[in-house]
Amino acid sequence: MTARTQKLINEPENIVNEMLSGFCAAYSDIVRREGERLVLRAQPKAAGKVGLVMGGGSGHEPAMLGWIGQGLLDVNVVGEIFTAPGPEGLLAGIRAADRGAGALLCVSHHEGDRLNAELALEFCDAEGIDNIDMVILYDDISSAPKGRESERRGTAGLFFVWKLLGAFCEGDVTLTAAKALAEKVRDNTRSLAMSLSSCASPVSGEVMFELAQGDMEIGMGLHGEIGAGRQQALSADETIDLMLPPILADLPYRAGDEVLVLLNNSGSLTLMELFILYRRVAFKLAEAGIRVYKSWIGPYATTLETAGFALALCRVDEQLKALWDAPANGVYMKQR
Amino acid sequence: MSALEPAQLAAMIEAIARRVASERELLNRLDAALGDGDHGTSVSAALDAAVADIAALDQPSASDLWLAAAKAMLNRMGGASGALFGTFFLKGVAPLRGKDRLNKSDMEAALLAGLQGVKARGKADVGDKTMVDALAPAVIAFAGANDFADGWRRAAAAARAGAESTRMLIARQGRAKYLGERAMGHCDPGATTIACIFEAIDDWWTETR
Repeated sequence: MTARTQKLINEPENIVNEMLSGFCAAYSDIVRREGERLVLRAQPKAAGKVGLVMGGGSGHEPAMLGWIGQGLLDVNVVGEIFTAPGPEGLLAGIRAADRGAGALLCVSHHEGDRLNAELALEFCDAEGIDNIDMVILYDDISSAPKGRESERRGTAGLFFVWKLLGAFCEGDVTLTAAKALAEKVRDNTRSLAMSLSSCASPVSGEVMFELAQGDMEIGMGLHGEIGAGRQQALSADETIDLMLPPILADLPYRAGDEVLVLLNNSGSLTLMELFILYRRVAFKLAEAGIRVYKSWIGPYATTLETAGFALALCRVDEQLKALWDAPANGVYMKQR
Repeated sequence: MSALEPAQLAAMIEAIARRVASERELLNRLDAALGDGDHGTSVSAALDAAVADIAALDQPSASDLWLAAAKAMLNRMGGASGALFGTFFLKGVAPLRGKDRLNKSDMEAALLAGLQGVKARGKADVGDKTMVDALAPAVIAFAGANDFADGWRRAAAAARAGAESTRMLIARQGRAKYLGERAMGHCDPGATTIACIFEAIDDWWTETR
């Protein structure tokens, strides 16, 4: 399975801006655009509530655009493809999100995102903008061993943070409590991804990494980073049987636990394949005595056209279940 | 020339932008081996933006120029590279403040502050296969020289040797660290950019003196 190097685009340097124009035109009841690179809720949340800002590179659609809306995030600062936005953009996002109760900058842990977030917070300090904080989020068990969780990278499993933290910040909560909730969700979430193919940069046309026909990469896979390793591709059931045990062992998730499950399409798997994979996940979780509270299957955080998926679990208690069931109205996350 | 006027500093930054633009494809290829293949394009675009932003300033001081370069790197480039190249200039702003004509020790102070800033922000040191592998020896070589001409010459040679030394290293910071041994055999693109920058300065100095 080779990456698709032919893209249906216009000028490569306009990709991100043209994408945002289309997105905001299609869903103007939910989102609006400010400047070139800020996407905000069409109707801001009430004054006095903690604002949530997320910066990130493009190429992961519908993340994070699809998570802007009621019961979700307030502002997305959009970077170039796989490139974190700089501190000036983040600062503008923080200003837009602050409704008088402060703002939390959510950082999907990658070096570029973390460094620019640190710079943005230093700029906030220098400009006397207070009550701003950041939270570093990670979930991918293949990027650092157990015991070094804080070195891990943020990937598809952050899905749970956006929904649960977004619901939490619709209430009258403090910035400190919001950050603690984000950390609670993070610390109960684990994920692992695999891919059958790479993807090609629409700017350079270069394939991100080479993967031979008939091979698969378990682990990072998102930009060709080493994970659990590269091996011959297996069947759907065998793949889940390989990926689920290390996820369960890492937290660990135990018999009697209740979990949310995400089966995230990295780009070009079919829903048919995902449902077949989910069937095995459900079977294996039941076998382990772990109860599934809710499941989500689909493309939520993609890596361009990568053929692969991420499996993520989040252990929930009564508080998190109630937050999960709270209303949300983003373009790619709706709940009544 | 024993001191740099702001206009000369602006010309120096232009010379850097020209050199990096001419090395854009090489830097992209190096990045393609370790990352997503856009380092040359993004660093060159940011330097071009710095040159344009500087040209729009009215009678800028040396610290104004350094700040404009910092902002262009931070905001036009983005990513970890933008944050680190931007930090290099940003931390050099304070040592340059209030200096009309830069002598070698003023420049040395700005370069040293920039190096310290990059090391602190990136939590990287020599041997981690990052831009620090070229930047640290270049700044130290510059500091050990007696005048600008000798300083730039030694810095350029040290930066290039440092960039070459990254070829056989395993990355301990940055995106390439997830590649493990797969990163061996490729020079770090950030370190190579630093070598291009110091070589551009050295050539510009030789041509204009």
